[in-house]
Amino acid sequence: MVSAYFDFVRIRFLTMLAYRVNYYSGIVIYAINIGAYYFMWRAIYGDAETLGGFTAAQMTTYIAVSWMARAFYFNNLDREISNEIRDGSVAVQMMRPISYLLVKMMQGFGEGIFRMLMLMVPGMIVAVLLFPVSLPTDPMRWVVFFVMLWFSFLINSQLNLLTGLFAFFVENNEGLMRMKRVLIDLLSGVLLPITFFPGWAKTLLEWLPFQAITYLPSSVFTGRLNGEEVWNALYVQIAWFLVLIVPILLMWRSARKRLFVQGG
Amino acid sequence: MLAIDVNRLRKQFKVQKNREGLKGAVLDLFKREHTLVTAVKDISFQIPQGEICGYIGENGAGKSTTIKMLTGILVPTSGQIHVNGFVPHKDRERFVKEIGVVFGQRSQLWWDIGVIESFRLLRKVYRVDETDFKRRLDELIETLDLGDLLNRPVRKLSLGQRMRCELVAALLHQPSILFLDEPTIGLDIIVKTQIRDFLKKINREHGTTILLTTHDLQDIDALCSRVIMLDDGHIIYDGGLNELKDRWSKGREIVFQFTDAVSLDRVNSLTAGLDVRWTKENEMAAKVWIPREMNVSDVLARVVSSAEISDIKILETNTDEIVREIYRTGSPEAGEGIRG
Amino acid sequence: MTKILFSLSLFREYIANYIKTKLTYRADFWVEVASDLLFSAMNLIFIFVVFQHTPSLGDWSEAEVVFVYGYFMIPYGLFSTFSNLWNFSERYIVKGEMDRILTRPAGSLTQVMLENVDPPSLIGSLVGLGIMATAWWRLGLSFDWYDPFVLIVLALGSTLVYLGIYTAIAALSFYSDAPTGITPLIYNIQNYGRYPIQIYNKTIRFLLTWLLPFAFVGVYPASFFLEEHRDPLMAWLTPAVGLVVGAIGLGVWTHGVKRYRGAGS
Repeated sequence: MVSAYFDFVRIRFLTMLAYRVNYYSGIVIYAINIGAYYFMWRAIYGDAETLGGFTAAQMTTYIAVSWMARAFYFNNLDREISNEIRDGSVAVQMMRPISYLLVKMMQGFGEGIFRMLMLMVPGMIVAVLLFPVSLPTDPMRWVVFFVMLWFSFLINSQLNLLTGLFAFFVENNEGLMRMKRVLIDLLSGVLLPITFFPGWAKTLLEWLPFQAITYLPSSVFTGRLNGEEVWNALYVQIAWFLVLIVPILLMWRSARKRLFVQGG
Repeated sequence: MLAIDVNRLRKQFKVQKNREGLKGAVLDLFKREHTLVTAVKDISFQIPQGEICGYIGENGAGKSTTIKMLTGILVPTSGQIHVNGFVPHKDRERFVKEIGVVFGQRSQLWWDIGVIESFRLLRKVYRVDETDFKRRLDELIETLDLGDLLNRPVRKLSLGQRMRCELVAALLHQPSILFLDEPTIGLDIIVKTQIRDFLKKINREHGTTILLTTHDLQDIDALCSRVIMLDDGHIIYDGGLNELKDRWSKGREIVFQFTDAVSLDRVNSLTAGLDVRWTKENEMAAKVWIPREMNVSDVLARVVSSAEISDIKILETNTDEIVREIYRTGSPEAGEGIRG
Repeated sequence: MTKILFSLSLFREYIANYIKTKLTYRADFWVEVASDLLFSAMNLIFIFVVFQHTPSLGDWSEAEVVFVYGYFMIPYGLFSTFSNLWNFSERYIVKGEMDRILTRPAGSLTQVMLENVDPPSLIGSLVGLGIMATAWWRLGLSFDWYDPFVLIVLALGSTLVYLGIYTAIAALSFYSDAPTGITPLIYNIQNYGRYPIQIYNKTIRFLLTWLLPFAFVGVYPASFFLEEHRDPLMAWLTPAVGLVVGAIGLGVWTHGVKRYRGAGS
């Protein structure tokens, strides 16, 4: 049973390997993204020592690691799900003796592993060579970072599942998906750390799941968060992971009902 | 004049080879291997204007590839094609104005708007004159009985209704050749019959040349005077349907419904001396197989004269079985023989 | 010429059909408009938040950066209206709708673009115009009689840059054997053309100017109106670059279609 799920990871990994144009362009484009933001932040810092609690050096590391983390957790599960709902193939998949949602997560994970090994690792090496990125020396920090990265993936995928499942209830969730993508990039901290937002917005964002996707793990990696704060950050991620299970299951249940009562 | 003239037509595809396993996949990332697949192997055929020709063969035999080359979607690797005097892949935009295409599995129509809106849009695309359009549309609507469907969006139509609309869409600009790829797939028998009758009608009244691919051999039976059969990129038969049957059909069968119970011995004795084979259908019925060269009436006369019969059914070997028979025995080499 | 007139007459028909379709899905229409605007709002928020921490971005003031953003929205809206090719590969290559396109007597790119017209994107252009006007007023820029005409020419040039780049990218699906995920990635890069080009290093400047010339959809043409940063040469290159990139896009497409017709599905 479990091995069936792992097969989905493996198959997606192999599928990703087949898209080699994506692979090559992915490396180039992630490098450009990091480069562009590096220079933009340098201009933003100007002569300033620290902004929003980040030193210029920390900011560089933050940008590099955030984009690389994004490479890992990013996936298009929302689009896949809503396509499958719209062309009706979801009904077939629901008949299979395995959980549709778990299968989707596994496929996303396969994609993530692919991007981590083939894109994130080489990309990070390039970034370290090109830009003044400073890597943490404490091995414990690395371990915690990778655990947190795993939760970034889970939370981001959960949000994708939610957005995708909306296709059961609305005729067209294209707009919603686009909105979600923009929201995650802005509010998760890829574009700018949460600490840059004005006080009220910062407070609001700390109560939203987005910061758990990028801001928290990247802050741990850059050494912005230390000691107790590191563990708190991890707890926040775990909490969001658990909380988000609830709406997904609720939505899934009413989606099934809808599907079986109305025939899709 | 020839509607379609195909000469030594060939189409090759480069197909990517996926190496196995993780190692293979990683290798593929850096260096791809390809194999060359020949889908259509130097075929030649001519179709005169006004003919309805069936283009049959198993999946992957090269039917769709040929149709795509004939309609200008694909460019041949080698060989010549002339359709309506045009080379389809050159001068595509002018060429396609003269042809109609229906792909059974894909819609030509806009999903969300009323059917009539799609027709109006197609009128613009094909630059059909308004009065011609009106006349043509009225005629098509009447023969295909579409009147009350016109304002419904396509997504609300049944497959049969949609298919009839697809035919209208393909014929609005009065093409002289109509290409149909699986036009009756998935339809019920009533709609199938309606579509067949319709195709015969436009062929008769407008002299429209029709080339259709199908898996449904009743389509062929009902429509085609000529059949081209493709296997593995080669033409293995090109000729009339009747000759095809004569050649490959192994004989006919008659089912007798007796008034009393019968045994195999009993029926065998009825036709003693004739080279026929009896099988029992049930208590009161038996089926006899008669070889092609024997006269059906000889057998009938023998049986009817010495037994009480309540019903007789003569079964012609259907084309389905013929195809299977050819596939079983007919290598392409043998096919050359049939053609010659 | 007659070909262009024919395409224009088709455009009218497709728009009419678009409107009929949308009338049946009215809610979607507004969700789409809202999400487009939210997208722009997000980018503006980024600018506003950043300028809370710094008075200038490589000697460009907040109002100037906002001005460039407003300008960017105009060609972007125009482009999105006519070239909604985000799922081209899915729909036309994987699902094979390209076959249908090729059996119709009109240009293949024309048909694909018309089948996907997206007029609500034009609202973005209007909002962009509004943002630009506000920033214009905040910066106290002078207004010359020829400015609107210059704006039209530059915006059309920028639109062509976009059309060319994204047509070429969509046409890549004719070459690549799998649906490509390049589009969303390029989508990120286009953002950088909206910030003062001077802040980047040579490589990125070169990239944004000559390779993926997104700087011509933002900072170069907009600088024409900004007295402090006026760079007339680069600004006036915009229409020329637009024509070149547009031609390249068309070329890649035409060549790609040929390849599609050679490869089949």
